[in-house]
Amino acid sequence: MPSNPSMSAAIVGAAESDQIGYIEEGTTDQILHIQAISNVCAQVGISPSEIEGIFSVGYSTNIAEYLGLHPKYIDTTGVGGCSFQMHVHHAMAAINAGIIDIAVVSHGESGYSGGRKNRGRGRNRGAGGSDPWQPASMFADPYGAAGAPSNYSHAMTRHMHNYGTSHKDFAQIAVTTRDWATLNPRAVMHSKETNPYGGKITIDDVENSRLISWPLHLLDCCLVTDHGGAVIVASAERARSFKTKPVWIAGAAESMSHQNMMEMDDFTRTSAPESSLAAYKMAGMGPREMEMAMIYDSFTITAAITAEMLGLAKRGEGPSLWEGGKAGPGGSGIPVNTNGGGLSFSHSGMYGMMLLVEAYRQLSGTAEDGVHGLPGKQTNAKTAIVNGTGGSLSVTGTLVLVADD
Amino acid sequence: MAYNKPIPDPDPYTTQPFWDGAKAGKLMLPRCTNCNRAHFYPRMICPHCYSRQIEWFEASGEGWIHTFAVQHRAFGGWADDVPFVTAYIDLKEGDRMFTVLRGVDAAKPETIKVGASVKIEFEEASETVSIPFWRVV
Ligand SMILES: [Zn+2]
Repeated sequence: MPSNPSMSAAIVGAAESDQIGYIEEGTTDQILHIQAISNVCAQVGISPSEIEGIFSVGYSTNIAEYLGLHPKYIDTTGVGGCSFQMHVHHAMAAINAGIIDIAVVSHGESGYSGGRKNRGRGRNRGAGGSDPWQPASMFADPYGAAGAPSNYSHAMTRHMHNYGTSHKDFAQIAVTTRDWATLNPRAVMHSKETNPYGGKITIDDVENSRLISWPLHLLDCCLVTDHGGAVIVASAERARSFKTKPVWIAGAAESMSHQNMMEMDDFTRTSAPESSLAAYKMAGMGPREMEMAMIYDSFTITAAITAEMLGLAKRGEGPSLWEGGKAGPGGSGIPVNTNGGGLSFSHSGMYGMMLLVEAYRQLSGTAEDGVHGLPGKQTNAKTAIVNGTGGSLSVTGTLVLVADD
Repeated sequence: MAYNKPIPDPDPYTTQPFWDGAKAGKLMLPRCTNCNRAHFYPRMICPHCYSRQIEWFEASGEGWIHTFAVQHRAFGGWADDVPFVTAYIDLKEGDRMFTVLRGVDAAKPETIKVGASVKIEFEEASETVSIPFWRVV
């Protein structure tokens, strides 16, 4: 019987690319990856040559070649925005198996620059991909759905039908998340200085923003930015040998319910109960012991459903976690998405890395000094639940992270 | 006017009877002869019992709205039609299909009801492909 891998590995550093957000002069996925890896290695105090395992969404061999590395473990899991939670899970497994001691999980996605470059070339259109004989290509693409918001809106309609929730309930999530962004100078929507539409918003602002896919309004939807990020995962033996503090991986798990939304059995349920129960069990902890939460907020509905799935809110009452600003700065509940979320901080298409970097910053103490010299300590939390959702509410990865004592 | 929206390219291996049926104005569904359950999208193996004994039958073409959304942003030929209503349809025979819903007012989503009865219809998109749509009855 193999041993419980809980605490066999730790995240020992987390950094971003030099620039994030709307990079007007343009950038590439490669640049964002390499800058983030360079920055995290400097933060941790290692040479990139010490990296033994590379985990990324389909980019690991490019990274290795660019840096002249010959990794012993290569993982390219790409299942949407939660891939990075899974990469940490997989890196922990590889470390626990004794195959590697130091891994990098890397993200580089020019969601804004790349989208502009490819405008008119059909990139990022629809959910079906390029194979015309995939089920989504034949049975979904003919009906004009335009990417993630046009799918996720169906889940909000069904949530409202099942539980009597209203758009106003979900709007609070966008408002509270924006409040956090106003405290994070790196957030795209930090202020009027960082973006003409930045700064605080109200529930009315969300309700009056233009419709994208009813019931989703513009301010229910995440940003589409350029973003790079990387974390270093190290074995327990090595975790205390770096310049930085470890944040321990107490629990990690993943699950999925479907790929195409037409196969989503219950539109108000993701597989996060499965992934979080397994992660909680590995950690020997439960939702009541979580002192902060990083929840994928591709849309307000994603965050609301996930809060229910993680045991942080009752079924059908996901928005209650944010009600009246409870999950926001100075709120009476647990802090949620302290960086400003995919809604108001940065979201390049896949947001899972941003969840990891922020959780590491808050639990490691590096937020006090600030990544890139900026402050950002928002909580004294010692535990965090980190959950990513990928695809069309399809796939979930959950981590339970614990600060070093 | 020629059909200006995405036209499916039917795969000839698993789904051809569906498209042949659509061409003839019939909803054809795959059903497992082992467990007698229908499924959609069409597969070569039953997703319920993993039998590979699949037959095709003409379904009722009736169903209900499981959930819906109003699309205010779209690309290609669909951009001309915004706002329009997309929906997931629960089929009378079981399982679910995605569609653009007809017979509803996209400007008044509050008048569209989850659970409302719908019926299938087909639009000829090309010489070889007709596309199913669902209409509120
Ligand atoms: Zn069967």
